[in-house]
Amino acid sequence: MLPATYDCPPTLSDQQILDFCRDGYLVLPGVVPEEINRRTVAFLEEHNGPQPDPILGEEWFTEAVLKNPAAAGAVRSLLGAHFRLPGMMANHRTHCPQPAQKWHRDGGSIYNRRLDYLQVFYYPSDTPEGMGPTEVVPGSHFVRSKSNYMRHYDCIRHGVRTAAPAGSIFLTIYSIWHRRGKSTGEGVRNLLKYNYWRTTPPRRDWLADLAFNFSWIHLSSGRPTFEQFMDGIGAAELFTWLCGLEQEYHFQGGQCWPVSAINRAPYTQEGLPVGLWPHPL
Amino acid sequence: MSVDKLRVQLQLCLERFRRGELAEADLAQALALAEPSPQQLLYLQAGGSSVDSRVIGMALIAGGEVQEVPADPEQWPYQTVLDAIRAGWRVIKFPELALLVHPDQTIGLGCEFVLEK
Repeated sequence: MLPATYDCPPTLSDQQILDFCRDGYLVLPGVVPEEINRRTVAFLEEHNGPQPDPILGEEWFTEAVLKNPAAAGAVRSLLGAHFRLPGMMANHRTHCPQPAQKWHRDGGSIYNRRLDYLQVFYYPSDTPEGMGPTEVVPGSHFVRSKSNYMRHYDCIRHGVRTAAPAGSIFLTIYSIWHRRGKSTGEGVRNLLKYNYWRTTPPRRDWLADLAFNFSWIHLSSGRPTFEQFMDGIGAAELFTWLCGLEQEYHFQGGQCWPVSAINRAPYTQEGLPVGLWPHPL
Repeated sequence: MSVDKLRVQLQLCLERFRRGELAEADLAQALALAEPSPQQLLYLQAGGSSVDSRVIGMALIAGGEVQEVPADPEQWPYQTVLDAIRAGWRVIKFPELALLVHPDQTIGLGCEFVLEK
């Protein structure tokens, strides 16, 4: 038997979906009510192991966290209708202070340009810099490596620490590089981690703006890990897949979509999938 | 071992020997400086394969231990690979060209230089 599915209104726009495709993560600060955060922390005191699966049987948790309108709305936007709820729960419970963890991607990571599941994290307590928030490398879901070949990396210039208030949830593409950051504070840091799964074929049924002009968009981040435009090209391919337009996308090279240009032309950009041409209002 | 410090100490010993002032302690200090010390390694990931490219990642192994690098990149001791070379680090591995076989794939954090002292 598989876990239940769930549906709710999508909350993300075209631009937010594009940004997620490029960056590989999205932080939703403080979206869970304080009462639920307190209850979760209390539950995790009682179930203080690494896999507190019993919390999945708590209706208050399912309703306020797993089906949280902001978080589930983002999941709905990215995984489509009737996505599958988590069937496993992990808690990265840390007694601070601790040194930074080694950089890694989680076991089972693969590289492709599709999105069939999301790895989601929830901080039930305030997690400022001193409590070792998870650090991610934006765009690293497009950077090939293996966990055991990235353990010599330490400080990364464009790494982002997800310091956030209690009740924050952040969504990630599974293969993003991440680590527990160094903590200098005292106390326990809980970090719940769980996955949602797609059950329906991808289509552009989030808060899409049919007049959105995808031509000449500045999609690339300019992060120095990548050759010019390469992360934007990866993000565009993933975005096109999410739109259900995989068959229409073929990066031909040169200045075709999604390579951006300083001077926007008045024309539709060469290579833009027809399904993404703006519809007249 | 610091070759520079050893050279200075030996020069001092030589001068004192010529003056008839060489003491056992002078030689003992030279011997101490000649003691082997663990290799120091510096991993620098740069945005390009040129040594004047900006560093985007850094890890330091010194004194036989992994050292803590400042979290703020602006506080890193070297902003380019060339900065490290000027500080006496020697490059022992240049960025791996074999990673360029697949032009549409990005492999690894950047152009990685490995340096030692």
